[in-house]
Amino acid sequence: MTGFDFSNYNRNAALHAKGVPLPKATSTGTTIVGCIFDNGVVIAADTRATSGPIVADKNCEKLHYISPKIWCAGAGTAADTEFTTALISSNVELHSLSTGRDPRVITCMTMLKQHLFRYQGHIGAYLVVAGVDPTGTGLYTVHAHGSTDKLPYVTMGSGSLAAMSVFESTWKANLNREEAVELCAEAIKAGIFNDLGSGSNVDVCVIEKDKPTQLLRNYIKPNERGEKERNYRFPRGTTAYLNQKVISKEDMRKYVTVEEVSGDPNLMEVDS
Amino acid sequence: MFIARSEYDRGINTFSPEGRLFQVEYSLEAIKLGSTAIDYLAAVHYTTGAQHTILTSYQVATNEGVILGVEKRVTSTLLEASSVEKIVEIDQHIGCAMSGLQADARNLVEHARVECQNHAFHYAEPLRVESCTQAICDLALRFGETGDDEESVMSRPFGVALLIAGFDEDGPQLYHAEPSGTFYRYDAKAIGSGSEGAQAELQNEYHRSLTLEEAETLVLKTLKQVMEEKLDAKNVQLASVTKEKGFRIYNDEEMGRAVATLGGNQ
Amino acid sequence: MMSFMGHQPQSQAVGYTFSQPTNAPNKEHSFYPYTDNGGSTLGITGADFAILAGDTRSVAGYNINSRYAPKVFKIGGDDDTGEGAHIILSVVGFAADGQALKERLDAVVKMYKYQHGKPMSVRACAQRLSTILYQKRFFPYYVHAILAGLDEEGKGALYSYDPVGSYEREQCRAAGSAASLIMPFLDNQVNFKNQYIPSSGDGHALEPKKPEPLPRETVEQLVRDAFTSAVERHIEVGDGLQMMVITQNGIEEIYTPLKKD
Repeated sequence: MTGFDFSNYNRNAALHAKGVPLPKATSTGTTIVGCIFDNGVVIAADTRATSGPIVADKNCEKLHYISPKIWCAGAGTAADTEFTTALISSNVELHSLSTGRDPRVITCMTMLKQHLFRYQGHIGAYLVVAGVDPTGTGLYTVHAHGSTDKLPYVTMGSGSLAAMSVFESTWKANLNREEAVELCAEAIKAGIFNDLGSGSNVDVCVIEKDKPTQLLRNYIKPNERGEKERNYRFPRGTTAYLNQKVISKEDMRKYVTVEEVSGDPNLMEVDS
Repeated sequence: MFIARSEYDRGINTFSPEGRLFQVEYSLEAIKLGSTAIDYLAAVHYTTGAQHTILTSYQVATNEGVILGVEKRVTSTLLEASSVEKIVEIDQHIGCAMSGLQADARNLVEHARVECQNHAFHYAEPLRVESCTQAICDLALRFGETGDDEESVMSRPFGVALLIAGFDEDGPQLYHAEPSGTFYRYDAKAIGSGSEGAQAELQNEYHRSLTLEEAETLVLKTLKQVMEEKLDAKNVQLASVTKEKGFRIYNDEEMGRAVATLGGNQ
Repeated sequence: MMSFMGHQPQSQAVGYTFSQPTNAPNKEHSFYPYTDNGGSTLGITGADFAILAGDTRSVAGYNINSRYAPKVFKIGGDDDTGEGAHIILSVVGFAADGQALKERLDAVVKMYKYQHGKPMSVRACAQRLSTILYQKRFFPYYVHAILAGLDEEGKGALYSYDPVGSYEREQCRAAGSAASLIMPFLDNQVNFKNQYIPSSGDGHALEPKKPEPLPRETVEQLVRDAFTSAVERHIEVGDGLQMMVITQNGIEEIYTPLKKD
């Protein structure tokens, strides 16, 4: 179904045995959280992606679309979270089409865990699945090996302990929308500031009954970079070169063919 | 001092009731008393500027330095004069002359050499003359019972005094180190069996604007006055410490020239 | 690589492994005495000054131990505040070794003044630090040290070290976890590497831009820009920037906050 290609397996196993290290994948170091409230569910994430100790992306998106009312926050190997959620999103859509019903969160969660279990943890996706469906509000965590949890508030990723400390100290039952958003944002901030794998901004997604889902991209930006003190523009000609070849506009004509077409040249050609 | 002789003069770690350490005092006698190892020594510290200006280092005139001189008493016509070593090098910029038990001096000099090399190894700079003298005096005091962590030390005080001459960032310097572990800095100093007379001579003749040649002459003249034998190029030895050349012992040719100059002056 | 999930040991989180199951041999337990506490330092000299700087974050894995753990120290000062010192040292790597090394060098410099009656020159201190490091050749101080002061002519002097005592006098040096990010920037901005004088010649005849000692204000700006940039891209650098400027008037210490994420 997913079409993984294993043709390099034996070669890579041999290389690995000789001591060639695995290539470094981008990891979404990450703090992700979710919390239900009276009329729906909120999920939130930081926006730092790392490769070892290096920040690979300062403002990546870790909130993934599954269906209009089901969203996923991903931690772990960036590629795995992105492909897994995209794949399940497709399958959820197909399932919805064939059943003629709105997709359910528990369905999505089940598809995810079965997919991940099949790959025995090799697909490094750690997810928070949240959404609203005809049965009510759903909030789950899915681990890379396929285990799941259903809880009123959840955290995952390397910043999960920092984030959970906020939930455990300030969470209460029957939160309203604003309280839930604030609580999730605070939990993410705890991860941003206390976990080195997490950083930069807070993304929030609010899924509510009978209301359109809101993706609050960069809901809080507590880590804006200040002005640099010096100007690092180089005067033209600073860089040495041994050869140069100038291609003028006229020369360009050699590489293209210009064809006159009839009709209004400002109009794009489209199928009628 | 001999009137107070008692059992207190035996223990090296026992003060007499008058507060004296006899063995240390006796060791000072070894320097003065006649024996094969004891000799006249004279050293003159000459400068062309006043001493106090030297501390500002850059103004030290290039021809400043220290002259060391010793009498090499050749007791037998069969004795190889070159084997009588009374002036030795400690480092490129420090040398010393000795009076007393030469074997003891070798211990001290070896210690000083190691200290100099260690300092250069650790700090990439020459050891100061005063620090070198201090290091020697530290060893001079390490006699008596062996401590727990100390390897073998001398059971008695060293029977030798040293005149340590050197040149560092503070200019030319001359130190006198005694077996008691005390040391003083001098402009000119004589030690050994004829030292009283020699010191008096230096007292009269020394002044702070001596040149290299004048200092050589003064050292030889002083030695000549207290020596029993007739001074010649074979029975005295000179050495100098200067900024440019560091410490060096005069060779036969230079000795001949210096002694000849002395003859001419008189 | 390797997601760093709180719940999973790193090796398991690697999504895949090639290792073949083996008949597990005897488990070997070992004590590893070093920790990498992260952070970065850098030093730059000018005509009559030298600057050492370091971030103040101390880390262990993905955790922050402290947001203010200084890496730059005054050496040979008269009291606890370091007043009267004329040499500064920065250490980055294993913080405990850095602390121990600084204490030891401080003691050596103080003893030197008592024993030799003069303050130790930066050159002498540099050589002494080298011998201290090499003495532990087979159980090293796990640090990259940078020593700075003014030389005999009053010019800025900077010496950088590897963990076992190899050292060199330089114009500038970055050390620590973000050294590979900062050093190329310094090469370009301090020593003008890869910068040429525009239209000064053709091909190989193009004249390189000559490095010259930079004014203090410029150097301070470069240091701050180097660190604010390192903070952006290295997770172990942040929280605060500690700068020490040594001139003939003494040592000035400047603290600038950095991002805390």
